[in-house]
Amino acid sequence: MSGFTDSSTLSERVKAIPGGEMLMMCYSCGTCTSKCMIQTKLEGSYNPRRLIREAVFNMDDDAFADKTTWLCTACDLCYTACPQKIHISGVINAVKALAVESGKKTPYQVAKVDESTCVACGLCEKICPYEAISLVEKRVAFRGTITVASVDANKCMACGLCTAACRSTSIRLAEDYNDAELIDSLLSWLETERVSS
Amino acid sequence: MVDAARQPLIEVKTFTEVEKVEGYVGNFVVTLREKAKYVRADRCNGCGACTKACPVEVPNDFELGLAPRKAAYIPMSQAVPLIYNIDMDACIHCYKCVEACGALEAIDFSMEDKLVEQEIGAIVVATGFSHFDPTPMTEYGYGRFPNVITAMEMERLNNSAGPTQGALIRPSDGKRPKNIAIINCVGSRDKRFNIGCSNFCCMYAIKNALLLKQMHPDAELSIYYIDIRTPSKGYEEFYDRARESGIRFIQGRPSEITEDPDTHQLFIASEDITLGKVIEREYDMVMLNQAAIPQPDQNHMSSVLNVAQSPGGWFMEYHPKLRPMDSPTDGIFFAGACQGPKDIPASVAQGSAAASRASRILHSDSWQIEPTVAVVWPDRCVSADGQACGICSRACPYGAIDYTKGLAAEVITAKCHGCGACVAECPHNAITQLHYTDAQVLAQIRTLLAIEPEKKILAFRCQWCSYGGADLAGTSHFEYSANERGLRVMCSARMDADLIYEAYRLGAGAILYSGCHPQDCHYITGQISGAKRAARLEKIFERMQVSPGRFRTEWISAAEGDKYARVINEMQASLDAIPEDVLKAEIERLRPEMSKRLTKMGEVPGVTQAMAQVDFIVDEMIGKEKGT
Amino acid sequence: MSETPKLVLFQCQWCLFSSADQEWVDNQLPANIHLIKVPCTGRINPLYLLNAVQGGADGIMISGCLPEQCHFKTGNIGARRQLEEFSDYLNYIGYEQERVRFLWLDLQDRGIIQKELAAFEAQLEALGPAHNLATRLAEPAGGANA
Repeated sequence: MSGFTDSSTLSERVKAIPGGEMLMMCYSCGTCTSKCMIQTKLEGSYNPRRLIREAVFNMDDDAFADKTTWLCTACDLCYTACPQKIHISGVINAVKALAVESGKKTPYQVAKVDESTCVACGLCEKICPYEAISLVEKRVAFRGTITVASVDANKCMACGLCTAACRSTSIRLAEDYNDAELIDSLLSWLETERVSS
Repeated sequence: MVDAARQPLIEVKTFTEVEKVEGYVGNFVVTLREKAKYVRADRCNGCGACTKACPVEVPNDFELGLAPRKAAYIPMSQAVPLIYNIDMDACIHCYKCVEACGALEAIDFSMEDKLVEQEIGAIVVATGFSHFDPTPMTEYGYGRFPNVITAMEMERLNNSAGPTQGALIRPSDGKRPKNIAIINCVGSRDKRFNIGCSNFCCMYAIKNALLLKQMHPDAELSIYYIDIRTPSKGYEEFYDRARESGIRFIQGRPSEITEDPDTHQLFIASEDITLGKVIEREYDMVMLNQAAIPQPDQNHMSSVLNVAQSPGGWFMEYHPKLRPMDSPTDGIFFAGACQGPKDIPASVAQGSAAASRASRILHSDSWQIEPTVAVVWPDRCVSADGQACGICSRACPYGAIDYTKGLAAEVITAKCHGCGACVAECPHNAITQLHYTDAQVLAQIRTLLAIEPEKKILAFRCQWCSYGGADLAGTSHFEYSANERGLRVMCSARMDADLIYEAYRLGAGAILYSGCHPQDCHYITGQISGAKRAARLEKIFERMQVSPGRFRTEWISAAEGDKYARVINEMQASLDAIPEDVLKAEIERLRPEMSKRLTKMGEVPGVTQAMAQVDFIVDEMIGKEKGT
Repeated sequence: MSETPKLVLFQCQWCLFSSADQEWVDNQLPANIHLIKVPCTGRINPLYLLNAVQGGADGIMISGCLPEQCHFKTGNIGARRQLEEFSDYLNYIGYEQERVRFLWLDLQDRGIIQKELAAFEAQLEALGPAHNLATRLAEPAGGANA
C-alpha cells in the first residue's frame, strides 16, 4: 500500500465493497439520473449521480440521508446505459450497506408478515427479487414455536410481489391497497351504467 | 488536391489499393492494385455524357445514401482526376454509356485490375478516419426514428451542393425543422463502444449549430454535452460566439430519445446537471455527433505496412510526444487522423511534418539507425543445418529477420530496431545483440551479485519504461530498498531466461522482471513476448518451489516512480520474511538445477572469456576493499 | 345499437417512460376505462382479475415493462407466470382469451398505450359484452339487457 489513501473514508469503504469498485470513474454525465424514472414518478430529490458525488467527497451524513440510497431497486437500466460502465446500483447498494452498518434504517415502509396466519409455504421467499424474505423458526403467540416467513427490512424494496403471491393473505406492505376496498371500488365502477355508442 | 495533381513531380493514383509493402527504409517495394475504372484515363474528358445516358440508379455513398447516383459516375463533383468510373456491381451492361461516349471511345469494359510494383523511398500514411454508426445505441433510435440523423447527414443536408441544394428538411415529412438538438459524444467517451474522446466534435457541434443559426435565424439550437472541450487558440472565442448567438448548451448526456409515432416529433430525456433535474424537451430533429473511429480496414493496413496499432485501433506512433508523426518502422510516417482523431489544423501540421521527415530520407544516401542491432552467428544457426526453426523470425516485431529453411537466419539491419526479442528467444544462442551481448549482460549480473548475493534484489529494467520509472523514483526522492541492483536492457523481450537462471545460480535473493505496460511498448509487441516469457518463468519457478516473492513481474511506466519504489519495498519485505538459513538452503538446493539449464550458455562466443575477466576484476576490487 | 365496452386497465407505474403518456393515463382516460395503478405487474393479485370478471368487465388490459426492464428486477417475470396462467384458466371457464390483453412496453414506446387501448376497445366491441361470468353484476331492474 502506498499509504496515500485513508481506508476509513466513505469513498474507500464503498470501493472495498463488491459492486462499489468503479466509484471514482464517474464523470457526471447524468445518464443514470435521466434513465431512472424514480425522480419523475416518485421522488423529485432522487439522483444517483449526486449520490456518487457524495460518496466521492466522503459526505457520509448526506449520503446516508439521501433518498437515493434507500430507493434504488437495482433494476439496472442505468448500468446498461452508463458510458463508464459503472455498476451504479452496486455503488448505491454499497452506500446502503454502510448506512445500515452505521445504524441507519430505511425510512420506507416494507412488507410485514402476519404471523398468526402464515403457513410457511415459502412462495414469498421464492418470488422475492431481493432475497429479503426467509423462513425462520420463532415463537408466535398462541401458535408455539413454528416456522414463519420473516422480512429483512433493509433488503425489502416494497414491490408487493409477495403480497400478490401469498395464498393465505398473510403478508402485506405497510403502505398498500386495502384489497377489499380496491375490489369494492372496482365493482362499484363496474355497476355504473354502460355508455351507449 | 487540384494543385497536387498539377504538380509534375506528384503522381496521384486514385482508386488504387496498397497490396504489399516489402523492403526497408529508402528501399521499399510496394505492390499496388490499380482497380479497373472501365473508363480509360487517357481518353476521358470528363464530359459526363455517360452519366446522363446511364439508366441505373444506386444510393450515393458520398451523399450517405440521401441521394441516388448512376452506375457510371464520379464520386463527387470535385473529384481529382476528373475521370468517370463504372460501378460494375450495379452495371446492367446495357452499353448506353458506350454509345453516349461515341467517338471518344473512353469506355472499355475489358479493363481489369492491374498489379503494379513500385520502388518507394518513404511512405506517408494518410488514410484518415471513419464514423461510428450509432445504430447499436438503441436509446437514440438512429435508424428507427427518421428525424434522428448523423452529423455527416446533417453536413450533406446543409450543403448547397448537397442532395437538397442546401434546403434543410426533416426526413419524415420534408418540412423545415425549427427546433434542433445536437447530441455530443455519441459512441465516444463511452466504454461500451469507444473509450477515447474524438477530439474535434465539440468544435464541430458548435460549428454546425452556428452555421444552422446563420442560415436560419429563427431556428432553436440546443447542444447536449458532457464536457465542452475547446482547447486550442481561438476555440473558446468561437464557443463564446455560439453562446452569444443564442445557442443553448445543456450539460447532461441524454439517456433516451422517444418519438411521437404520429408526428415524428422527438423527445429527449436528459438530466440537466446544473439543475440536478431530469428534463424532457421536444425537438423537430436530432443530430447525433458520432465518434471518430479507425477506418474499417485499418487492421488490414496495419499488417500490410507492418506498423502497430494503439489501443482503440489507431496507428501507433514511434513516441507519443517526441515523434508523433513517425511510425515505429523507419521510413513510414503518419499524417492526420489515421494516427488518432485530430482536427484540421493538427492534421495539416502533422502532414507537413511527415512530408519533411520523408524528404530527409529521399535526400540521404545513407541512413543512421540505433547501433544496438541483432547479429546472427551463421555457424550456430540450426536453420543452416536444415532444421526447421524460424523462432527468431516469428519473435521479431518488425519482420526484420529473413528465415529460409536451409539457410542461416539473416537480420535485415536497416529494419532492426534492437529490442533483442530474437536474442532471448533463440533456443540455440545463435543471435546476439550488439552492446547487449550475452557476455556483456552476464558480466554485469556477475558484478552486481559479487557480494552477498542472497541479500540483493536484481531488477531487470527495460530502457524505456521501468528504467525511467526507477530514475523518476530517484529524482522524486521516493525511498526504496538499497539492496536493489538495477540492470538495463532495451526491452523486456531481451530478458533471456538464461540471464534469470544465471542470477539465481549466483545466489540472487530476488529478481524483478519489469518493463513497459503492453500499450506503451517501444518495440510494438516486444513487451508481449517478454510477458509471455515471464509467465512461463513464473510457472517454472513455482514447480521448482522457489519461495514466493523471489521472482516478480511488474509493468512500470516511466511516470510510475512511486510504483517502482513500492514494488522494490514490497519485494524487500517478502525477502525479509524468508529466514536467512532457509533462503541459503534454497539457493543451494536450486543451484544444480539452474546450472543444468545454463549448459548452452557457456558455448556462446565470448562468454567464458568475459566471465574469467569479470571474476578477475571483481576479485581485485573486493580484495582492495577488504584491505588485503 | 352497440355499447362501449367497459374495461379495466392494470398499469405498472413504471412502464411508461414518457411523462406525457403517464399524464394521459392518469387524467384523460376515457370514462369506460377503469385504471388500477400498481407498483409492479407482479403486485397484481389474480383475485383482482377474478373480481373484475365477476363484476362484468368486458376486458382486462395489463400493461407492464419488458422482461429486462422491470423496476423490481424480476417482478414482471413473476407476473407473466402468474397472470398468463390465470388468463388461460379464465379462458377455460368461459372468459375468452381475447378479453385479456397484455401490453409489455419498451422504454422508447411513446403514444403506444393510447393506440393499444383503442384497438383493444374495438376488439371488445366486436366480441360484445361479457355476461357469462358476471355473477356479481347487480341485475338491472326489469331483467337482463335486451
